[in-house]
Amino acid sequence: MSRNEIRMRRNRLTGHGADRFRNYGVVLERHERDQRIKKILKVFTLFAIILILIMLLIIVFRVEKKLEPTSCHKRQDDTSIYVTAITGWKNMPCSSNSG
Amino acid sequence: MTEVEIRDEQQIVAASKKNARAFGPLYEKYFDRIYHFIYRQTDDEDLAGDLCSQTFTNALNNLPRYEFRGLPFSAWLYKIAGNEVNKYYRKIKGKKIFSIEELKVRELVERSEEGWNEELIARLIEFMKDLPTDMLQVLELRYFEDKDFKEIAYILDITESGAKMRTYRALDKLRKNFNLNVKYDEPK
Repeated sequence: MSRNEIRMRRNRLTGHGADRFRNYGVVLERHERDQRIKKILKVFTLFAIILILIMLLIIVFRVEKKLEPTSCHKRQDDTSIYVTAITGWKNMPCSSNSG
Repeated sequence: MTEVEIRDEQQIVAASKKNARAFGPLYEKYFDRIYHFIYRQTDDEDLAGDLCSQTFTNALNNLPRYEFRGLPFSAWLYKIAGNEVNKYYRKIKGKKIFSIEELKVRELVERSEEGWNEELIARLIEFMKDLPTDMLQVLELRYFEDKDFKEIAYILDITESGAKMRTYRALDKLRKNFNLNVKYDEPK
């Protein structure tokens, strides 16, 4: 099977065929339209990036809040270090749970 | 193209980067050449017109990225036009068409032992059908568009020696198969 299609033309190419399509106004219009679309896309992309950043910040804050230890556990940790140091006990029960 | 002409062109390009309306003279100057270049690869007037408009629109859109490399501005336009044609063929998944003028082929091939006749044309067409597309592209730019190897290399995104090698290989094949003398001389 051949790779390309070859066509032999007897007539020479002249400028007349091209004249039908010569219109700089159309090209300029298309260019201006493309530039407008490009600008809109740029603004949209910037907006999307800002939105994503804000969402990421919110997610990070929420995760941080979830990971923050409760006051009881904090107290327990402090006390357990103290008790472990004196008695060697490692798991000191939380006062609210024990009571 | 003289150095002065290239410099004048670059002034228009610089002005066009600031104001697209300044691009008009370059459009008028190169429209026919780019249209014919595309027409030779599509054999369809309407399609060539569309792709030609798209070529100039792309050129205007990407003008801020254009860099002068010591070549005429037309080389950049040919490069964009070639990309547009390739994009079209990728889209339709069809065979690439090369529409060649018989007169140009006559100019390219000097008759030696074989006389120029219908049978030779038919054989030549059959032979060219099987030539790799990159070889045909080089031959087209070199002998139908009169481009030098530096410009061909830039248009096809290959090295200058690569462009020379492809041309010589294609011409060697022509020589061997048709017993013809093919000109190696530089285009005017």
